[in-house]
Amino acid sequence: MADSSGMTLMDLITADPSTVSASASTTTSSSASTQPAQSSGYAASPPKSSSSSGLPTALGKPAGEKRSKRASLMQIQNDTISAAKAALNPVRTNINMNSIMPQKHKQKQKKPVSYAQLTRSIHELAAASDQKSSQKQLVNHVFPKLAVYNSVDPSVAPSLLMLNQQCEDKTVLRYVYYYLARILSDNGAQGVSTGGGIPTPNWDALADIDAGGGVTRADVVPRIVNQLTTEASNADPEFHARRLQALKALTYAPSTNSEILSKLYEIVFGILDKVADGPQKRKKGVFGTKGGDKEFIIRSNLQYGALSSLRRLPLDPGNPAFLYRAVQGVSFADPVAVRHALEILSELSTKDPYAVAMGLGKHAEPGGALQDVLHLHDVLARVALARLCYTISRARALDERPDIRSQFNSVLYQLLLDPSERVCFEAILCILGKHDNAESSEERAAGWYRLTREILKLPEAPSVKDSSKDKSQKTRRPQPLIKLVMRRLESSFRSFSRPVLHAAARVVQEMGKSRAAAFSVGIQDIDETVHVNTFSETLDSQDSDSNETSHPESIRRTSLSAGVGGKDTIASLLASLMEVVRTTVACECVYVRAMVIKALIWMQSPHDSFDQLESIIASELSDPSWPATLLNDILLTLHARFKATPDMAVTLLEIARIFATKVPGKIDADVLQLLWKTCLVGAGPDGKHTALEAVTIVLDLPPPQPGSMLGLTSVDMVSASDPKSALALQRLVQAAVWFLGENANYAASEYAWESATPPGTALMMLDADKMVAAASSRNPTLAGALTRLQRCAFSGSWEVRIIAAQALTTMAIRSGEPFRLQIYELLHTLAQGGVQSQFSEMHLSNGEDQGASGTGLGVLISPMINILDEMYRAQDDLIKEIRNHDNANKEWTDEELKKLYETHERLLDLVSLFCYVPRAKYLPLGPVSAKLIDIYRTRHNISASAGLSDPAVATGISDLMYDSKPTAEEPDVLDDDLVNAWAANLGDDGLLGNNAPAMSRVNEFLAGAGTDAPDVDEENIISRPSVSYDDLWAKTLLESSELEEDDARSSGTSSPESTGSVETSISSHFGGMNYPSLFSSRPERSGGSRFSNPSTGVPSFSEGLGSPIREEPPPYSSPATQRYESFENPLAGRGSQSFGSEDDERTSSGNPQNGTALYDFTAGGDDELNLTAGEEVVIEYEVDGWFYVKKKRPGRDGKMAGLVPVLYVNQS
Amino acid sequence: MILAVLFANSEGNILVERFNGVPAEERLHWRSFLVKLGADNLRGVKNEELLVACHKSVYIVYTVLGDVSIYVVGKDEYDELALSEVIFVITSAVKDVCGKPPTERLFLDKYGRICLCLDEIVWKGLLENTEKDRIKRLIRLKPPTEF
Repeated sequence: MADSSGMTLMDLITADPSTVSASASTTTSSSASTQPAQSSGYAASPPKSSSSSGLPTALGKPAGEKRSKRASLMQIQNDTISAAKAALNPVRTNINMNSIMPQKHKQKQKKPVSYAQLTRSIHELAAASDQKSSQKQLVNHVFPKLAVYNSVDPSVAPSLLMLNQQCEDKTVLRYVYYYLARILSDNGAQGVSTGGGIPTPNWDALADIDAGGGVTRADVVPRIVNQLTTEASNADPEFHARRLQALKALTYAPSTNSEILSKLYEIVFGILDKVADGPQKRKKGVFGTKGGDKEFIIRSNLQYGALSSLRRLPLDPGNPAFLYRAVQGVSFADPVAVRHALEILSELSTKDPYAVAMGLGKHAEPGGALQDVLHLHDVLARVALARLCYTISRARALDERPDIRSQFNSVLYQLLLDPSERVCFEAILCILGKHDNAESSEERAAGWYRLTREILKLPEAPSVKDSSKDKSQKTRRPQPLIKLVMRRLESSFRSFSRPVLHAAARVVQEMGKSRAAAFSVGIQDIDETVHVNTFSETLDSQDSDSNETSHPESIRRTSLSAGVGGKDTIASLLASLMEVVRTTVACECVYVRAMVIKALIWMQSPHDSFDQLESIIASELSDPSWPATLLNDILLTLHARFKATPDMAVTLLEIARIFATKVPGKIDADVLQLLWKTCLVGAGPDGKHTALEAVTIVLDLPPPQPGSMLGLTSVDMVSASDPKSALALQRLVQAAVWFLGENANYAASEYAWESATPPGTALMMLDADKMVAAASSRNPTLAGALTRLQRCAFSGSWEVRIIAAQALTTMAIRSGEPFRLQIYELLHTLAQGGVQSQFSEMHLSNGEDQGASGTGLGVLISPMINILDEMYRAQDDLIKEIRNHDNANKEWTDEELKKLYETHERLLDLVSLFCYVPRAKYLPLGPVSAKLIDIYRTRHNISASAGLSDPAVATGISDLMYDSKPTAEEPDVLDDDLVNAWAANLGDDGLLGNNAPAMSRVNEFLAGAGTDAPDVDEENIISRPSVSYDDLWAKTLLESSELEEDDARSSGTSSPESTGSVETSISSHFGGMNYPSLFSSRPERSGGSRFSNPSTGVPSFSEGLGSPIREEPPPYSSPATQRYESFENPLAGRGSQSFGSEDDERTSSGNPQNGTALYDFTAGGDDELNLTAGEEVVIEYEVDGWFYVKKKRPGRDGKMAGLVPVLYVNQS
Repeated sequence: MILAVLFANSEGNILVERFNGVPAEERLHWRSFLVKLGADNLRGVKNEELLVACHKSVYIVYTVLGDVSIYVVGKDEYDELALSEVIFVITSAVKDVCGKPPTERLFLDKYGRICLCLDEIVWKGLLENTEKDRIKRLIRLKPPTEF
C-alpha cells in the first residue's frame, strides 16, 4: 500500500536533496504549472509511480493530472479505509508500535511518504500518545508533513481529538489545535480550503462514495466543536493557554453556522464577564517582566484571547454588550487586545457613532485611555484609533456635542505626529476625508479645507498638550496642519523604501482629489497664496475650540487678503512638495512611478501649465517596461480626474493623446474612446471645439517612423516602431475618424433639423470657394472637422479612407447647408478620383497616362451619393410642387400629401441606414416640408417617432433604440442641462449601455473596486475586453481580399445589395468596438445587427431598402449629377450605368439556389460557415456532401460565405 | 484584509500559500501574477528589501529571504505600509525558526513550525501577533504573556 502511493512534496522534507531531485519530479513538475520552465534542480525524470499515485500531488493546480478522478479517489479511499482499520485495532498496533515505527521512519528517510501513510501514522501514534517516542514522531515527522496538504481528512479528526484529550506534550497539542481548526474551516465546494498547499480531494465526496464507513466533515464537526467548546469554557488557570487555542480554533468554524456562532458569542462574553471588569492596571513594564502578578497576567491573556475571537466574529452593532466589552478593551493591558478593541470600535462607529462616542466617554478625554494608545507600540492599533477618531469627529449624530467631536479631532491631529508613516498617512487621509472609497465630494472638499486651515494645538510632544492652551508658551507655537503634513510628506519622499514612496505618492494623490473637490464644490476663496500662519493667528484669536470640524455647509469663508508674500504660502508649500514628487519619478519601480504620475495628474490644476506633466508622461511612456494594466489604470485616472474637474477636459485629452501616440498597443481603445466622449460632452459649449480638436489631433500625426530614436520624448512623435503597435495606432486613427464623424455635429451644435438657413440660399452658392468660406465662417468647428475628414478621405490607408467617407456621409446627412453640399461635392470628387486632372491643377497632364489612380472608394461612395442625390432631387421636386401650388393657388390634395409623406418616410428609411437621425425631427425634404408633413400626419393620426413603415420597427432594431431608452432618440438630449447631467452621471445612464466593457471598467475604477485577479498576459493586447472586435477585425482583414474581389466583380453596381455588403463589412468592423456616439444608445450594435439580423420572416432590411429603388431606379436627373456627367470616371463611372446590370450579373454567375438553414451549425474550420436555424442562404454549388453557400447578410462572425453540410440546408 | 500570503522558491514553485477571501477561481491568477512579478523584479534584490506593486486597489508587498521569496497581498487597511509590517513580522519569524535566511532545504525542514508561526501571525485575514517572543511562546502552546 505504502509503495503504491505517489510522491509528494514530502520528499523535499524527508529525504535529502540529492535523492529528491530524482524522485520528486511528480510534485515539482506539476506544481510548475505556474512556471512552465521547470528548472534544473528537479529536472524531469519520468515519474516512476505516477500511474498508481493516488493523490493529485501538485502544489498549485494539478495541471498534469489527466487520470480519471474516480480512480484516484478510489485509491485514496482504499488508503483511508485501511488506515481506519489500523486505527480500529489499537491492540495490535500498540504492540507493534514501538518496534515498527522507528523502523518505518528510518525507511521514510529514503522512501517518499504518502498521505495515507501520514494519516495512518496519526491514528497509530494517537493510540500511543503517552509514549515519548510517538510524541516525538508526531512533532518531528508526521505533523509537519501533514501541513503541506491543502486540507485535512475528516477521518483523522477522531484521532486528533483523542490526542487532544490524552496527550500532554504541548507541541503535539499545538499541532492538534492547528489541524482541528483546519478541519473546521469551511472547505468550499471543491474541497479547496484557504490553506493552500498540495491539493487534496473533496473528502466528503469521497466518504459518500464509500457508503460503508466514510467519515465526512458533517460527522466530525459537531464532535470537534463540542470538545473545543468544553476546553474553551474550562476556567482552570493552568489550562488557560489551551483555552485560548481552543477558542482560536473555534473561530475558524464557518460563520454561516449560527449554532456554532451563538456558542462562540456565549463563550467569549462568558470569558469577558469574568475577566474584563476588574481594575485594569496599566503599569508600564508589566509585560515580559518577571514577577508580574500571575492572576493579572492570566486575566490579561484571557482578555486578549476573548477580544481576538470577538474581532473575528461578525459585528453586532445593536448589541450593547458588544460595544461595552469593546470599550473596556481599550484599557486592557495586552496591546493586541487593545488593537482589536479599537478596530471593533472603529467599525462600530461607522454604524452608530453616537453610541460609540458615548460609550467611550471618559476614555477620550485628555489623559484617558485613548491618549495612552498614542504611545502604544502597535502600529495597527493607532491606525484603528485614527479611523475611530475620524468617524466620530465627522459624525452628524454628534452635531449637538461639539465638545466630544473636538476631543476626538484633537486625538486625530496628534496622530499626525506619529513616528510611523502608516499611522501618520492614515491620519492625513482621514483629515482629507478619504474613507472607505465611498466619500462624497463635499466631505473631500471639507477635508481640503481642514488641511489648509486648521492648526494642531500641540507642538512637539503630545504629552504637553495640556499646556498648549497656555499662550505664554511661545516656544510651542501651534502648527498649521498643512505645514506638518507637507514636511512629513517631503521627508517620506526621501525614503529609500519603495512601499513608503508608493504610499506617500498615494497620499499626495488623495490630496489632489480633495483639492479638486474643494475647487469644484466652490470653496473658491481658498487663496493658496495666503501665508499659512495667518490662519493660525486668526484662529488663535478666536475661541479656543475653533478647530472644531466644519461641515461643508458651515465652512467659514474667511476672506483673507493680507499676508501675501509671506514665506510659507499654501501655494509655495505645494510647489516644493510637487518638486519632490516629480523627482520620485526616477524610482526604479514602475508601480511607484505610476502612483507618482497619478498624483501629478490629480494635483494638476486646470489653470496651471501642464508642460511639465506632459513631458514627464511622454518620457515615461517611452519606457517599454510599463505593463499595459498600469497604463490603463492611468488612463482611468484621467477619467476620474475629468469627472472631478470638467474644466480639465482639454488638458486631459492632450495627455490622453500622448498615450494614443506613444503606447497605442498597450492601451485599451475602448477606455480611450470613452474618455474622448466624456470629455467632449463635459467640456461645455465653449470647450467643445477645443475638445474636438484635441481628439482629432491624432489624425494630424505624421506616420510612425520605425527606428527613429530622436524624438522619443517629443509628444508629437509617434512611437509605433513594431508592427503590433503600428496596427494599434492605425486602429486608433480609425477610431478617431469614426468619432469625428459621429460627434462633430454635436460638438459644432449644427444639425440639419435645427438649421435656420433655408435650403434655397445654400443651393445658390454653388461656387466651391464661396461655399467653403461660408461654411467656415458659419461654424468653424464643423468646418475644421470637415477639413480633417477630407484629408483622411484622400490620404489615409484604405481602412481609414472608408471610415472617413462614412463619417463624411454621416455629417452630410446630419448637417444643414452649406455643409451638406460641400460634402456632396467632395464625395463626388472622391468617387471620381481617377480623373484628377480635371479637378486639380497640381496634376496637370504632362502627357503621361494618369492610369487608374482613383481613390478606390467609388463603390462605397456611390450609394452615399445616391442618397444625397435622392434627397436633393426630392427637395427640388417639393419646391417645384410648392411653387405650382402657390401659383395655381390651390390646396394640397390628400393624394399629393400622401405621396409627399411616402417620399419623406422612404428617405428617412434610407438615411437611417447610414447613421442615426431623430426620426421625429429629421426632414430629408428640407424645413419647408415640415408643415405639409405635419398636416398629413395629423390628418392620419400617425405618430411621428415610429411609423409602422419604419424598418427599425419592422426588424426589431427599434428595440435597441426606442424601447430601451425613449429619450435617446429625442434631440432634446442635446439640451445643455441634460447633457451636463448626462456627463455628471455618465456611469449609470442607460445611454452607453451598461454592458460596455469600457464603461464597467471605468465605473469599477471610480468605485475603487479591485479584488479581481490580475491578468498576467500583459503583452497580449488581445486580452482586452474588446476581444470580439479583435477577432472580427482579424477575420475581416483576412477576408478583405475576397471582399474586394467581390466588389471588383460587381464593380460599380451601385445596387442596394452592394451597399448592404460594404456597409455591412464596415459596420461589422465596428460592431464590437463600442464607438461612443452621442446619438444613439448603441449605434454600433444597431449598426451591426441591422445587417446581421437573421431574417426574421418580416421584410428584411435589404429588401426594404432595395425594393423602392429596384422598382423605380432613380433617373439621375438631379442637377448635380448632370453637372458631373461630363467628367465621368471611366472606372468608377460604371457605377452610374444602370441598375439592371447587377441582377444580370448575379444570375449569370452560375445557378444559385436559395435555401434555408434547418439547424444551427457551428463551423469546424476556416472554410466552414456558421449557420443559425432559419437563416436564408444562397447555395452556390455542392462538393462532397457540402454546400458552398452565401448568406444574404454576414453572420455574427462577419463571414458571408463558406461550406455547410448538405443536410443542414433545405433547398427551396 | 490580508488577501494572501505566499512563499515561493527561486524557481517560482509555491511552497506555502494562505488565501483569505479570494475566490477559488481567482487564486490561480494571483499565484501566477505574483510569481511573474517576482521573476521580473526580484533578481539581485537584497534580503528583506521590500518591493511594492498594486493592482486596482489591492496592494502587494514582496521580498526575498534566502532562497525563498515572500509575497503579501492586502487591501483596505492593509495598504503597502501595513503589509510592510506584516511581511516584517513574517520574515523575522522565519529567520527565527530557521536561524538564518533559509535555503529552500532548510525552509522545508522547518515547514511545520513555519506553518504554526504563520497561523499565529495571520489569523483569518487579519494580522494578529507581531512580537517575536510572543509568537515563539504561542507555537509552543504557552500563554502569550508569561508570568
